[in-house]
Amino acid sequence: MIRNPMSQNKPASPLLWGAVALGALGVLGSYAIAGPERFWANWVLWFVLIFTLGLGSLFIVALEHLVNAKWSVPVRRLPERLATLLIPAIPIGLIGLGALPVLYPGARPEAAHHPILAGKAFWLSLPFFSVRTLIAFALCLIGLAVLVGGSMKQDATKDPAFNFRARRFAPAFMAIFALVITLVAFDWISGLTPEWYSDIFGVYVFAGAFLSGLAATVLSVLYLQGQDRLEGVRADHLYNLGAFLFAFTVFWSYIGFAQYMLMWYANFPDEVIYYKVRLAGSWRAITIALAALHFILPFFALVTREAKKDPKRLRRVAYLMLGAHVLDMYWLIFPVLGAKPHFSWPELSFALFFLGGILLWIRGAMQKGEDMPVGDPFLREGLEFRL
Amino acid sequence: MHSLTMETITMPETTPMPARSFAVLGLFDTPNALMKAIPQVRVANLGTVEAYTPYPIHGMDEALGLRRSPLGGMVLVMGILGALTAFGFQYWISAIDYPIVTGGKPPSSWEAFIPIMFEVMVLFATFTAGLGMLFLLNKLPFFGHPVLSSKAITGITRDRYGLAIEAESEAFDSTAAAQALKEAGAVEVEILPAPDRSPFLTSDFILRTLGGIFAACVVSGIVMFLTIKWFPLLAPMKYMQDQPRLDAQRASAFFKDGHGMQMPVAGTVARGYLPTATGTQEAAVALVNPLPRTREVFAVGRKAYANRCEVCHGAIGNGVGSLTAAYGGKPANLQAQQFRDYPDGKIYWAIVNGKNAMPSQAADLTETQRWSVVHYVRALQRAQNAKDEDLKVATP
Repeated sequence: MIRNPMSQNKPASPLLWGAVALGALGVLGSYAIAGPERFWANWVLWFVLIFTLGLGSLFIVALEHLVNAKWSVPVRRLPERLATLLIPAIPIGLIGLGALPVLYPGARPEAAHHPILAGKAFWLSLPFFSVRTLIAFALCLIGLAVLVGGSMKQDATKDPAFNFRARRFAPAFMAIFALVITLVAFDWISGLTPEWYSDIFGVYVFAGAFLSGLAATVLSVLYLQGQDRLEGVRADHLYNLGAFLFAFTVFWSYIGFAQYMLMWYANFPDEVIYYKVRLAGSWRAITIALAALHFILPFFALVTREAKKDPKRLRRVAYLMLGAHVLDMYWLIFPVLGAKPHFSWPELSFALFFLGGILLWIRGAMQKGEDMPVGDPFLREGLEFRL
Repeated sequence: MHSLTMETITMPETTPMPARSFAVLGLFDTPNALMKAIPQVRVANLGTVEAYTPYPIHGMDEALGLRRSPLGGMVLVMGILGALTAFGFQYWISAIDYPIVTGGKPPSSWEAFIPIMFEVMVLFATFTAGLGMLFLLNKLPFFGHPVLSSKAITGITRDRYGLAIEAESEAFDSTAAAQALKEAGAVEVEILPAPDRSPFLTSDFILRTLGGIFAACVVSGIVMFLTIKWFPLLAPMKYMQDQPRLDAQRASAFFKDGHGMQMPVAGTVARGYLPTATGTQEAAVALVNPLPRTREVFAVGRKAYANRCEVCHGAIGNGVGSLTAAYGGKPANLQAQQFRDYPDGKIYWAIVNGKNAMPSQAADLTETQRWSVVHYVRALQRAQNAKDEDLKVATP
C-alpha cells in the first residue's frame, strides 16, 4: 500500500517519446501521401480503441460499486486510472469529427437525395452527430468525476460516504453507459455503413470494450505486482479477473455469432452485404483469424482453473485480448476503404503514435493517487478475499 | 457406537470392538486446532483423512491434500462430445438422410447447426456435472453416512470441528487411529462402526421410492385436473391460432379487394402451368410430341386415357364407350382413317381445346399426361391395324 519510492520521479521514457515523435511524422505524412480517407480511417480506429478502453475500464469500476463487490477493492484503483484515458479520448474524438465529410456517407450533402439516407439525414448530419458526441463525452466526464475523482479524494479524507454515493450513482451510470456505448458504436462505427443496421451492434462493441478494459486491468495488476506495489493482492484476485476475462470471451462470441447467424439466415441484401464484404478475398482470412484469436484461443487458454491464476498465462492472454480487440475494431472500420485490407506504413505510424501516447498516459496515470484505494473501508475485507 | 475416553484407549482389550469400523472421528474446539492436527494425522498414514466442519475453512483443500476434482475434465470432454453429437445428428439429417432446401441455404450449413450444438453441449455438460458429482464422485445412493449418526454430529453442525480417519481396507486399526487423533489434540474421540447392511437397494428403499413416485403421480394429477378445471381458457400466447387465414372460394379481409383468391401477377406464369397451345387446329400440326416412347410414358398415357377418354371413345378407341350406349352420342372413332392420318399435334390440340361435343381436358390433364395420351392413342391405332412386321417383332 505504501508507494515504492523507486517508482516515483522516473524520467519519462525517451523510447516512448521517440516512438510518438516518429509516429507523428508518419501520421502527418500519411495525410499528405496516402490520402485523407486512409488518414481518417486510422484516426477513427484509434479514437474508438482509446475510447472503448477508457469506457470499458470505467464500466468495471461502476460494476464493482453496483454489486457492492469487496474482493475487487484492492485492484479497483487500476481500472480507475485506466478510465482516465477518456480525457485524451475527447480531443481525439473532436478532431475525429473531421472524418465525417470524408468517410461517413450520411454526413455528405448527397445523402439528402439517397432513397434510404434521406430519411436519416438529420440524424447522421454533421451538426447533430457532433452534438451527440459532445453529449456522450459530457456523460463520460460526469461518470469519471463521480467514480474516479471521488475515489481518489477518498484516499486523503477516508470518508466512507463516498462508498454510499458511488453505490447510489452506479445504477444511473449503467444507464448512462448503455446510452454512451450505443451512441458511439452506432455513430462512429456503424455510421460508416449507414444503410446497414443491427440492433445488437452496441452490445457487440460493449463486449469488446469490457474485454479490453479487463485485459488492461490484468496487465496493470501484473505490472504493479512486479514492482511490489500491490502487496496483498494474491492469486485469488487474479483468479476472479481471469474468470471475468474467460466469461466475456464467450459473451463476445455469443453476441458476434448471434448477429451473424440471424443476418445469414434472413439473407436480406441490405443486411448481409456487411458480411459479404468481410467474407470475400483477404477479409475472409481476417474474419477467421478474428474468431480464432478473440474466442477459440483465449477460451481454451483460460478454461482450466489453474490457468486463471497463473500470472504468466494471464499476461499472455491479456496481451492477446488487447490485440484481438484492435483486430476487431480494424475489422469493423477498415472495410470502408475498399475490398482490400489496408496495412502498411500509415497504419504502423498511427500505431506507433497512439500506442506510445497511450503508454505515456498510462505511465503518468499509474502515479496518480495511492496504488490501492486506502480510504475505502472495505479494503481490508478485499485483501482478505479467498476463493 | 463407542465414545472412548482416554482410559478405554489405554485398555482396549476391555472394550468390545465392532467387527469393522467405518472411521475414527476426533473432535476439536477451534478451526486452528483442527488445521494444526491435520498434518500430524496425515503423517501417521492410517487411513483417508477427512474433515467435517460447520462451515468451509480456507486452506482446507491444501491441508487435506485433496486431489483436483476430475469433474472439470469430465464436463469438458462430455461438452465437446455433446457438441459433436448434435453436429453429427443435424448433418446426417439435413445433408445425408433427408436433404431439404430451407431458406435457400445449402443442406450442410454449419451456421444453422450452431444453436442446437450449443444447447446439446450445455445439456451433456450439465448432466455430466450433476450426475457425475452425485453418483460417480459422491457415490449416491448412499443413505445415512455413518458420520450423520454419530454422537458428534450435533457439535459438528454447530461449533465443533471433526477430523476423521476413514478405513481404507480391512487392516484398518481403529485403536491406533484413535490414539493418533488424541495425540494430535482431539478433545473427544469416537469410533464409527461400519453400516451393518448395504445402504443400497434395501426393501425399505424400494418401497419408499415406489411410494414416492406414486405420491408424485397422484399429487401432480390432482393439480393438473384442478388447473384445467379452474383455468380452462388460460392461453398465454395464441398468435398462431389467430393469424389471418385464406380459404379457397371465400371472402377474406386480408386483401384490400376482399377476395380470398387473387389473380396471378400480370405477366407471370405459375410453375408447371405454361399456357396451352392456342390458335387453330391446323396451326397445331407443327407441334412435336416431346416425350419418348417408353414403357413408363405408355403407362401414364394408358391410365389418363382410362380415366378421361375411355367412357366415350371406348377401351380400344373405336368410339364405342359405356356412355355412348346410354346417351346416344357419337364420339369420334379414333380408328377411322381420318384420325389415323392426324399428326400428333392435332390430337393434342383436341385434348387441350375440345372438339364438337367433347369438352377441353386441359384442366384435368397435365402437360405430360396429355402428350402421354397422344402416344397411347397412337399405340391403340397401331394395335388395331397391325402389320406383318409387328408380329415378327413379337415372336423373335
